[in-house]
Amino acid sequence: MLIAMGCVLMTVVVYWLSKIIYKKVRIALLSPLLVAPCILSSTLVGFHIDYSDYDSGGRWLSNLLQPAVVGFAVPLYKFRKVLRKYLKVILISMTTGVCIALLSSGIFSHLVHLENNYLLSLLPRSITTPIAIAVSADIGGMPTMTAIFVIVTGISGLILGPAIIRYFNIREKLARGLLLGMGAHGAGTSKALEFGSEEGAAASLAMVLAAIFTLVFAPILTPIILM
Amino acid sequence: MKKIFLTAVQVAFLYFFAIVGNLIVKLLHLPISGSIVGLFIVLALLRFNVLKLSKVELGASFLMSEMLLFFIPSAVAIIQYKDQILAHGSQFLMVIVLSTITVMVVTGLVAQFYVHKFAKKKKEV
Repeated sequence: MLIAMGCVLMTVVVYWLSKIIYKKVRIALLSPLLVAPCILSSTLVGFHIDYSDYDSGGRWLSNLLQPAVVGFAVPLYKFRKVLRKYLKVILISMTTGVCIALLSSGIFSHLVHLENNYLLSLLPRSITTPIAIAVSADIGGMPTMTAIFVIVTGISGLILGPAIIRYFNIREKLARGLLLGMGAHGAGTSKALEFGSEEGAAASLAMVLAAIFTLVFAPILTPIILM
Repeated sequence: MKKIFLTAVQVAFLYFFAIVGNLIVKLLHLPISGSIVGLFIVLALLRFNVLKLSKVELGASFLMSEMLLFFIPSAVAIIQYKDQILAHGSQFLMVIVLSTITVMVVTGLVAQFYVHKFAKKKKEV
């Protein structure tokens, strides 16, 4: 119990410090989601602390992701009129996004000569963890590896998203939110909220739809990717 | 002080809906996660004025703004997979980065294209 509480405290403090650093320097690569885990994992390795001991407390924090996802109901509700108005645009973009996510993960895995068990674990990497794990198990991947790929996707999307928005001149708030929520699930959504609440609402919806659409499209596209 | 207390209560309230969502998922053997079911429940309650926005807004905005914190323990979990990372780490990273770029660029451009098309159509009518 004491170890668990100590781990929670350590995580919160390291997160808080890395957030302050990020706010000062504003370099995307120094995102708290990259810096804090690096500091924490070196601490664990340095002091020979088992991950399972760390996670006895870490789990308390991970569990808060659940009410956070429920909380996305608030931006969805606030911007329901805009979202309903653009429903068709949203559905087209998300269907495209989900299929591209599955296909490109498969194609790039082939290109770097990854074995099929890794390829299958990579396919659902762009959606929120609990559903990604379920999809992974369903199509024959390794759920634990998928969980890792989901988090690495989140970190990548957090760093790459704003650069892509700038480089490709994505001005529409809706498009910004959709690409962040589609590309990097909850992590992308938190970035979208930094842009503004309308972007945040679009990203929340994108995150939810990406998960649901992946459930449908992953089993259909997997045999094609494996061909 | 009152704000902190209110936020904590609302976080617990949102947690309650996540738990209800988890129960529903278990009972009905749904393929989606309990928190997404919880999201739809709260959305429906807000929509039909059963629940006031002010009862969840503070908690939700706190959770959403500190969301990265909740991802950190799962990111630390990577140290458990040292062997796989050492053997295939660069391949994994390449696939994830290239695929994430592809997905974001395509989704963003498709969405922007259709938003503009949609706006033009509206003007012509």
